[in-house]
Amino acid sequence: MSQITAIETEGLTKRFGAFTAVADLDLRVDTGTVVSLLGPNGAGKTTTVRMLATLLRPDAGCARVAGYDVVREAVQVRALIALTGQFAALDKHLTARENLVLMARLRGRGRREAARVADRLIERFSIGEFRNRLVKNLSGGERRRVDLAAGLIDTPHVLVLDEPTTGLDPRSRQVVWSTIRSLVDDGVTLLLTTQYLEEADALADRVVLIDRGREVAAGTPAQLKTQVGAQRVDVIAADGTEFTRVSELLRGRFETSESAEQRTVSVAAPDEAENLAEVAAVVAQAGIQVDEVALRRPTLDDAFLALTGHVAHEAPHTDSRFDESEPTEVAA
Amino acid sequence: MSAIAAPTPAHVPGAGVAAPARFVRDTALLTARSLRAIPRVPERLLDVTIQPIVFILLFLYVFGSAIHVPGVSYKDYLFPGIIGQSLAFGIIGAGVATSHDMTEGVIDRFRSMPISRLSIISAQVMGQFCEQLLGLTIVVVFGLILGWNPHLSVGHAVELGALMALGMLAFTWMGVLLGMLVRSPDAMQGVGFIVIFPLAFLAGTFVPIAGMDAVPRAIAQWDPISALVGTVRGLSEGVHSSGSWQLVHPELAMALWCLLIVAVCVPLALRRFNRTLAG
Repeated sequence: MSQITAIETEGLTKRFGAFTAVADLDLRVDTGTVVSLLGPNGAGKTTTVRMLATLLRPDAGCARVAGYDVVREAVQVRALIALTGQFAALDKHLTARENLVLMARLRGRGRREAARVADRLIERFSIGEFRNRLVKNLSGGERRRVDLAAGLIDTPHVLVLDEPTTGLDPRSRQVVWSTIRSLVDDGVTLLLTTQYLEEADALADRVVLIDRGREVAAGTPAQLKTQVGAQRVDVIAADGTEFTRVSELLRGRFETSESAEQRTVSVAAPDEAENLAEVAAVVAQAGIQVDEVALRRPTLDDAFLALTGHVAHEAPHTDSRFDESEPTEVAA
Repeated sequence: MSAIAAPTPAHVPGAGVAAPARFVRDTALLTARSLRAIPRVPERLLDVTIQPIVFILLFLYVFGSAIHVPGVSYKDYLFPGIIGQSLAFGIIGAGVATSHDMTEGVIDRFRSMPISRLSIISAQVMGQFCEQLLGLTIVVVFGLILGWNPHLSVGHAVELGALMALGMLAFTWMGVLLGMLVRSPDAMQGVGFIVIFPLAFLAGTFVPIAGMDAVPRAIAQWDPISALVGTVRGLSEGVHSSGSWQLVHPELAMALWCLLIVAVCVPLALRRFNRTLAG
């Protein structure tokens, strides 16, 4: 059995001017596993996957896909990797089906074979209903599905999904997730970038948390969640005075963190609903005016706070040139 | 987990096909993709048709009565100028379209696929070339309807066609290069307005160069667009100009300009397309 590492980077570094987007990143994705690169906007996720997909040249370090170097053996790498970006990489003036046929033909299929491949993907990804609509007229969720399908013309050795559900409504997100799950069940090797802890948790075997281009933590979702803590109860005070009161009240009884700007006191809730009832009772008894008392899952912010000791959005990316939401800037 | 064999590129379908054949095939597929957008986004053709038509109407019916060119009617003098100008404005059209296309995610998908990058850029040029050709055809037909009467022999028609094709190819490459260098379609419009617009007017496009003031005359005598316009006018109307080497030999000058543009722009465009990219 010749298991080879699907993705391996050593000291991978990319700078844009004085800004270091990816710093000395060591990443490893074993064949047949799902790894999630988790981090806030501007953490270097998109830059990393663009280097892996041979769209950007690393400044230092190296990256190999299935053992092939992304710089020296780019041609081989392109044959083995499929990238689906956070902006659907489709021709918007073609229909969903025309896009799939085109991609299949560019991957060496004849006219008839390409049509067959496209129709198979249309069925597999439930695209049938809108297969003859122009891509520009599709909803975000529909586009992502077509985009995913386009990445799977040849079952790629490695599939890279760059923020596959960013900007989608919850229902479309569920559809994309179930599509990704079915791919994972088929044994596809997957590198997934996301801003959502929940998404990494739902899909990945292993999570690598990155911030400002550096790895800050890694482990299974279960390991990370243990470090992050369980759900939390958020109490949002009605105004500043009430915030001070509720903060003093809860600090004495529970393990809390707080944000004065958002007038929110957050309480660790290992027993979930039970803790919610406790907190609600204490607040009601003291007669403090609150806008909301709610149980919520830990977010990426909580994870960063727990694992790095600082909040995620500190990175000063004032220059929009380095905003990862504009990948075309670095590509041009 | 089942054993997954070390993948080799030989598993890629079509990998056995010779590289030149794949290049031609991929270019054709990608060109067809661009052309399919034309009927679906017909407003893109407005750029290459409305502008010349406005110039025709403006010069023919507004300014034309004040312009007298010895030995030829102003209508017959004007149309070759408009055709030359349309060709030159093709730089702007191709540039705007390219700067727009390059921001589309689909180009990234093509770049990350196992297809030759030269075929992606060639298809961009071919697509723009066809768009310019369609626009030019509409302008010529419009001219004929308005009563332009070219005096073309068969030999001259073939020569003109060949030179026009070469010119369009050169200008399209130049536009594609500029479109990749600028950051946005708006910026490309700006470059067009500042550089190409004046060059189109500081030439024998609408009025004879001989009557210009000393400074614009000196520029116009060596403006490549003068060679272009002189070629069309010389072959279609037998009207010749003088004052500089290129005005006396416009066909040869135009061919040389085009070859120079191709020699400079093609490698630069390819380099630009691959810049910051591996492979």
